[in-house]
Amino acid sequence: MSIPVRNIIRFFLLLAVQVLLNKISLRWWSEPMGFPVFVPYIYPLFILLLPFETPVWLLLVLGFVTGISVDALMNTGGMHAAATVLLAYLRTNTLNALLPRPLNEYPNLAPGVKTLGWIPFLTYAGFLILVHHLVYFSIEFWSFYNIGLLSLKIIASATTTLLLVIAYLLLFTRQVASRA
Amino acid sequence: MRNFIRFISQFANLIFFVVLEVLCAILISRTRTIQGNDLVNSSNAVSGFFYKRQNAIVHYFGLGRMNDSLLAENRKLHEALANLQFATANFSDSITRLPKGLPDSAHRVTYARYIFRTAKVINNSVAQQDNYITLNRGADEGIRKGMAVISSSGAVGKVVHVSPHFSTVLSLLSSLQEVSVHLKDGTVGISKWQIEGTRPSPDVLYMTDVPAQIPMRIGDSVWTTTYSFFPPEVLVGIIQKVFIVKKTGKRLLYLKPANNFRNMQYVYVVENTYSEEQKQLESENKLEQNKPKKRTK
Repeated sequence: MSIPVRNIIRFFLLLAVQVLLNKISLRWWSEPMGFPVFVPYIYPLFILLLPFETPVWLLLVLGFVTGISVDALMNTGGMHAAATVLLAYLRTNTLNALLPRPLNEYPNLAPGVKTLGWIPFLTYAGFLILVHHLVYFSIEFWSFYNIGLLSLKIIASATTTLLLVIAYLLLFTRQVASRA
Repeated sequence: MRNFIRFISQFANLIFFVVLEVLCAILISRTRTIQGNDLVNSSNAVSGFFYKRQNAIVHYFGLGRMNDSLLAENRKLHEALANLQFATANFSDSITRLPKGLPDSAHRVTYARYIFRTAKVINNSVAQQDNYITLNRGADEGIRKGMAVISSSGAVGKVVHVSPHFSTVLSLLSSLQEVSVHLKDGTVGISKWQIEGTRPSPDVLYMTDVPAQIPMRIGDSVWTTTYSFFPPEVLVGIIQKVFIVKKTGKRLLYLKPANNFRNMQYVYVVENTYSEEQKQLESENKLEQNKPKKRTK
């Protein structure tokens, strides 16, 4: 399967998973007024897994398109797009900081467990997802009055997203390995 | 000029990034009001289709629950019908014929006429700051902006966007929407979802500024009033906790929403046929107020 086709399929797959996740709003323990209800946002994984050599402008466009599709599905009109565009912009710098050589020396490769290793990949994904959630929830709350709730929601949602990202990687990297 | 071009090419990505973020900011600013948000929302055809498919799968798992709610509703309707028959039954004695249970006046006043339309919930959220519900009916079926939405168990929200086949509803779980409600003894107040210093949860609504002398008990019901866009006497919630605000001496009521926002399946969209007339009349008042006032010497 060629790289663009794989990425397009991944886009729709992640969007479909996100739609299902919206339906299942999570709560870590069920105390009537204790822990906030939250939804993990897994769709930024699409931007995280694009090939190394994707130019920045294309990343930004794809980030905007992904964000606006999720916005259309969730009635949030631009909040997801703003967070995802920021994530797409920061991606190149984060990868440059983590990798020994410049990005254009990795042709036809994409960030993943096989190319980066578990710890660097989780650092990369964790950092960017945290930034994305931070921006998204800050825009959604639109005030720092309730900062405890805001940070609880960010941490809970980002942690759950990261767990889902690990699940995704475990599911899909092994398949590629067995085929090779 | 050359410097300018070099500047542009050097910071092209940054400029593009800023442009996209500004575009997002414009889109977001449209959603901060109830009226905005026309561009991107789930009442458009594509997302509507998506959610319809998803709902077709999830629908079956809720059949049992739905049956229960229909049974409960049937029971309620039978009860209401029986009461009505009791109230309008004529009782005649040798002197007059009067409808029993109605006030002794020759005419009955019609306050408003409501038309109920059923709709199915195809998308729903409870985890956001402003939660929206998508329904599978739209303008073609007569749904209009501003109509009230109730379920068999209680108040749900207000229609905010309509497309030919879908509509989105701003649910009571939103900071943008406050509803006028009254207690058992007629005390009118406002029910909100978010107040300062509390965590919004889909299981709690708040009724603020209730005077301390009003008698109430945990478990009392709270209904909509005639002032709101909802039809009157729709159950909004049940008091689950009474809290006294020390600063003002007033009470803050924690309400358990009558409607379970997590698992709604069918709702009724209620049209008030006189609402246009009422709005027009009230807008005339506003015009009057905005006129420059004459100074009296």
